[in-house]
Amino acid sequence: MVSVSNADVSSRLDQARRQYRTFQSKWYATPAILAGIFGLLLVLPLVLDLYFFGFSLGSWISVHVLVITLVWATAAQGWNVMSGYTGQFSFGHAAFFGLGAYGTILLLNTVGLNPWLGMLIGATVASLYGLLIGVLCFRYDLRGHYFALATLAFAELLRHTFNTFSQLGGASGYFKPLPRSYGAEFGFAAFQFRETLPYYYIILGFLVVVTAVSLAIKQSRLGLYLFAIREDESAAAAVGIPTYRYKLVGIGVSAFFTAWAGAFWAMYFDTIRPDTVYELLVNVEILLPAIVGGVGTVIGPIVGAFVVIPLSEVARQSVDITGFDRVIYGLLLVGIVLYSPQGAISWPRRAVELIGAYGPSKRNASATADDDDE
Amino acid sequence: MIATMGFSFGSVAALPSIGGLATESAMVAFIQPSTALQLIAFAILLGGIYGLVALGLTMIFGVMDVINFAHGAMMVVGMYTVWWTATAFGLHPILSIPLAVLGLFALGVLVHLTTISSIMDAPQENQLIVTFGIMLILISAIEITFSTDPQSLGLGLGSVAIAGVFLPLGQLYALLIAISAVVVVWLFLQRTQLGRAIRGTADDRTAAQYVGINVPRIDYLTFGIGAALAGLAGAVIPLFQQINPYLGDSYLINAFVIVVLGGLGSFPGALLGGLIVGFVHVFGQYYLPGSGYQISIFLIFILVLLLKPEGLLGGGVSE
Repeated sequence: MVSVSNADVSSRLDQARRQYRTFQSKWYATPAILAGIFGLLLVLPLVLDLYFFGFSLGSWISVHVLVITLVWATAAQGWNVMSGYTGQFSFGHAAFFGLGAYGTILLLNTVGLNPWLGMLIGATVASLYGLLIGVLCFRYDLRGHYFALATLAFAELLRHTFNTFSQLGGASGYFKPLPRSYGAEFGFAAFQFRETLPYYYIILGFLVVVTAVSLAIKQSRLGLYLFAIREDESAAAAVGIPTYRYKLVGIGVSAFFTAWAGAFWAMYFDTIRPDTVYELLVNVEILLPAIVGGVGTVIGPIVGAFVVIPLSEVARQSVDITGFDRVIYGLLLVGIVLYSPQGAISWPRRAVELIGAYGPSKRNASATADDDDE
Repeated sequence: MIATMGFSFGSVAALPSIGGLATESAMVAFIQPSTALQLIAFAILLGGIYGLVALGLTMIFGVMDVINFAHGAMMVVGMYTVWWTATAFGLHPILSIPLAVLGLFALGVLVHLTTISSIMDAPQENQLIVTFGIMLILISAIEITFSTDPQSLGLGLGSVAIAGVFLPLGQLYALLIAISAVVVVWLFLQRTQLGRAIRGTADDRTAAQYVGINVPRIDYLTFGIGAALAGLAGAVIPLFQQINPYLGDSYLINAFVIVVLGGLGSFPGALLGGLIVGFVHVFGQYYLPGSGYQISIFLIFILVLLLKPEGLLGGGVSE
């Protein structure tokens, strides 16, 4: 190390930076990174209890925390398809999350329908509710604030409706029945397990599916149209893109997959109530990972979820104050929007740039500032 | 949260509360022949408070084009300022209410200068996210400092009966304070140089800059005044209701409804919207099961958003 001169170091850094940028511009960059992330997630719960240098991840986070993280990553991935891609900012995705949860558990409790079928029905209902919101809002061209408030109103509407009518479970909600009561054994078919680990792999499977769909949309013509709408809706319409129809596709797909996360939630916890699945904060928990990770990127919601949820869990465990985790949420929301609006996904590039800034070729550092859309 | 609040306060609280209105009016209905008149009185009392809550929100929106999600949290800070100064120092509400207003003005200016001012030109949702983050921080800070238990001033102001209509004094005072605040703010906007500058900025930010209005200064003043109005609305609530850190949520969401109903940025619209929501709330709570009143409020909201998104009295603050 001593023998390496200063110029040598900077030229090597410069080279690394250039290689990173070349890699980033390739079409396979995002799938490759995603494959790496999913590979890691596949083995992560197994290595939690291993000790490295006298220190183990398991002492900080449990499989349970990982499950919660993936639930919000899945929901955020769903949100991202609509709000990230088409730019129609939804503040009411709890509606879809809750419909997924209720579709599953309501049908299970009332007619003993298998939760997997219940989930698909719940997701379809959520999708239809999304289309209803879309038809109503987009027909009257609600945008920006008005659209965000309208989606919030539609979510709150469901919360109060489920709270009021006892046919929908009322304010006390539903208990998850034992598999025996719907003629099944603990296991995959019943969507119920005695341990946490199988749940982890199911939600990981959900996340993989949602991410694959999201990536496929992004790299297709459809994705191109959605992003065109986000950048300039009038211009998109002017070149012949049927913006109304594509915005509806966005909200329908988004609602469908967000409902999956809700259905999983219902089968993972023992009970659901309107005030837990339709709550105001659920709207935020769904969009927070995407905002923190990077809106409109495929990797962002996953990375964001792993920044937000373990952080708040560790905070909750180490500081015994109710509400402290929400302070963390609040600080993250404010901090990210103010200081890093492109999200955590831009941090490696910024780090590389920062290092590069000390190297010989400063002139390129600013040129790459706005061309990273994973 | 809204639904459970309605029940728990109605049955437990001795103080008159919004949630308790239906129970009380039901009781009154046995004694008084004219239930409708009683409900109208309650609706006006509640509508006035709603209007005051919506006023600050609509002002910030009209001038700055920002939806302040922290508005409900700022109300809660106002509530706790009054409650805390009363229980810790024995301060009379006549002193603590202005204190809460001043405190919230300062808080609003601080929040604006540290966060909102730097993202005024960013996409709309960024401001929404940031104010939501501030709301989480404020509410959690209140929770951590004062616990989540409901608190009350225990003033026991009682009530008066006018022409067979029963009026809780606490709410009557709150309404009077709300009306005077509205008059003061209206005179300020109409009659002072600064008020004119604020209205000018609401009409057209760019043009306001051209005629020499210091728009960034107008922004922080507006945010401060909006926060102060939230503080005032919060400060009068302990006069007639038990408080808890989550009370802001229900007021905030209904304030959104009111603001859109009346027209985002419209001053008279906020008052009209407040009255409408007050009537739907009180009558719905009396005649509909569960939180049917809240469902009706949202249905009206969605209908207005779809049919007349500019609101009933849409337009700038200048109206």
